[in-house]
Amino acid sequence: MIKKTIQKILFFYLVIITNASALIEIDITEGNREPLPIAVTNFFYAEDAIKDLDQISIDVSKVISADLERSGLFKSIDQEAFIQKTASMHIRPRHEDWRLINAQALVTGELEIDNDKLRVEFRLWDTFAEKEIEALVLITTIDNWRRISHMIADKIYERLTGEEGYFDTRILYVSENGPKNNRIKKLAIMDQDSFNHRYLTSGKELVLTPRFNPVKQEITYLSYFKNLPRVYLLDIQTGIQEVVGDFPGMTFAPRFSPDGEKIIMSLARDGNSDIYVMDIKSRVVERLTDNPAIDTSPSYSPDGKKITFNSDRGGSQQIYVMDNKGRNQTRISRETGNYATPVWSPRGDLIAFTKNFQGRYFIGVMRTDGTGERLLTENWYQEAPSWSSNGRVLIFYRETKADDTGKGHSSSLWSIDLTGFNERKIETPEDASDPSWSRLIQ
Amino acid sequence: MRSSILSSIVLHLAIMMMAIVSLPIFNNPDLEIPPIVQVELIEISEKTNVPKVSKKKDKKEEKKIEEKEVEKINQPVMKPKVEKSNEKVKDASDKDEIVKNKIEQKMFENVPIKKPVIKKKDKFDPLKIAELIDKSKDTKTVEEDIEDLEYDALDSTPSLDNKLTLSEEDAIRAQFMQCWSIPIGIPFDDTMIVKIKISLNTDGSLLEPPEVLQHERMNKPSEKYFRTLAESALRAVRRCDPIKAPDINRYESWKRIQLNFDPREILRG
Repeated sequence: MIKKTIQKILFFYLVIITNASALIEIDITEGNREPLPIAVTNFFYAEDAIKDLDQISIDVSKVISADLERSGLFKSIDQEAFIQKTASMHIRPRHEDWRLINAQALVTGELEIDNDKLRVEFRLWDTFAEKEIEALVLITTIDNWRRISHMIADKIYERLTGEEGYFDTRILYVSENGPKNNRIKKLAIMDQDSFNHRYLTSGKELVLTPRFNPVKQEITYLSYFKNLPRVYLLDIQTGIQEVVGDFPGMTFAPRFSPDGEKIIMSLARDGNSDIYVMDIKSRVVERLTDNPAIDTSPSYSPDGKKITFNSDRGGSQQIYVMDNKGRNQTRISRETGNYATPVWSPRGDLIAFTKNFQGRYFIGVMRTDGTGERLLTENWYQEAPSWSSNGRVLIFYRETKADDTGKGHSSSLWSIDLTGFNERKIETPEDASDPSWSRLIQ
Repeated sequence: MRSSILSSIVLHLAIMMMAIVSLPIFNNPDLEIPPIVQVELIEISEKTNVPKVSKKKDKKEEKKIEEKEVEKINQPVMKPKVEKSNEKVKDASDKDEIVKNKIEQKMFENVPIKKPVIKKKDKFDPLKIAELIDKSKDTKTVEEDIEDLEYDALDSTPSLDNKLTLSEEDAIRAQFMQCWSIPIGIPFDDTMIVKIKISLNTDGSLLEPPEVLQHERMNKPSEKYFRTLAESALRAVRRCDPIKAPDINRYESWKRIQLNFDPREILRG
């Protein structure tokens, strides 16, 4: 009898234990792709600094919000909806108040002036986990608050999306004005949000295809010298300009190598152009292609081992890839149409290009072996994509068609991300073309 | 002559009697016909066709259906109360200790007249089936009690009857999908799956904080992408709290769930 009872008790516990270990697994393979709602508050400051910091507090918050929103991955919540006010937030955020307005993340901060320097402290909060997930103190001169704001936006972006931000960057482009047959073209530079705009050249000489050095405050571009297009180098900080090499023919389409030590470009002689690379220090030039067709628009892979370029050797303009010594030249573009301006992504996984098909122009991307072609945007005329530092966004320029009287033509900068949905116009004081996006400012 | 006729009759009667007794044709016992068991065949597609997003409208409709069902069950008790006044209904329900999630409460507030009065004793509890069947529980021996417990435990073990249906699983999945903002900047990696164990109350709310099963990896400084992904998954779990609870009768099968947040197809591009 007792034995039977014990057996039954054991059986009972066995059943309970088996039951306890039963765990249903559910796979979540899709998510909500809506922009992540984030609340960026005005930064707190002590009452006695109101004169200096009142406006900066508001502006820092605005710059951060605008950066995040422009990425298309965040939705900045209107400050009118905020329940908790800045003063009490300084002590500790009431997370339930922020969840109530659907903020998944919260940005708070504090400003202080110390020895004529601006001290900015920022904190990023996960309102659902109710914990701080990022904090940083930055010290700068007071008039540098805008750059500090971009750096904070980069930190927030990186912490919440997992990839490097691209807000503390600049855009180099050709500013244009005047009638189409007599355009004045100047080099111009500005922050990625169109602020701090300035011109680098006077407009006396025609300038084209400016490109940033990825590691230095230096640019290369094409300008005309004695009516011959030549490749130039310009130090942005000192303003010193020099011609790259002294070649007998035209040089064009210059671009830096990833280490910033070389310039790769096209050199045309007797109507045939090939790709050459020049070491900036030694000025030693090496020829990489030798083909009767036009080879142009070279661009290095981020590891510097491969080069993509454009050639019409097959009868139409197509994209090719070769190694950095000019070997194994292989066509990678496969679909119908003409392809131009290939640019290797800083992440290394994609090549962006301009495609002309049936009279329309497209900006698109393909994998480095030519598969997975995706056309992101289509228009009457657009070209010259340039990657953001994190390889998520492309900047390019687009022209509008002139009417029968020759009026209405314009040229402007646009950006689009890899999803193909977040297309935005980038404001410039005048018409704009040939953009180049810098890496993160060091 | 006479004796031969008599013996013939006797013999014939004997043969007839033997036939009646032994032949089955003459044997017509009362057959016990087993009760007919009704089996309803339902196509899986009908059950799995659940809306992906928990829309308010759908919730309302579901709630209405639930309410109707509850009404039917409790008709004799609740009907007069409902007719009398809403206030009484409210009072009665205040006394209830039935835990409801916030969404359900809102739904009830919207339809106060139809609000069902559910007394605790009316609530269906699978653990008390034995008690309902056997009124002589007080007189039971210890052995009988253990037998009952065995029965109850077996009943609560996930089986074909009390497992989550595919549609209930889909409904849970859809809720977390809606709550999850995928950090799409994370580079593709075959190991980027976050496994989170959650324990739920009967109302679908979190019983304890969600637990990332790979928490060691999450805390490694070199695994910042995984940390970002894990944090986004944890946010999704908290954002969805409470989830709309599946059938309470199957609570044992959904009170602990492992959620595998797997963004690989999206990150692959």
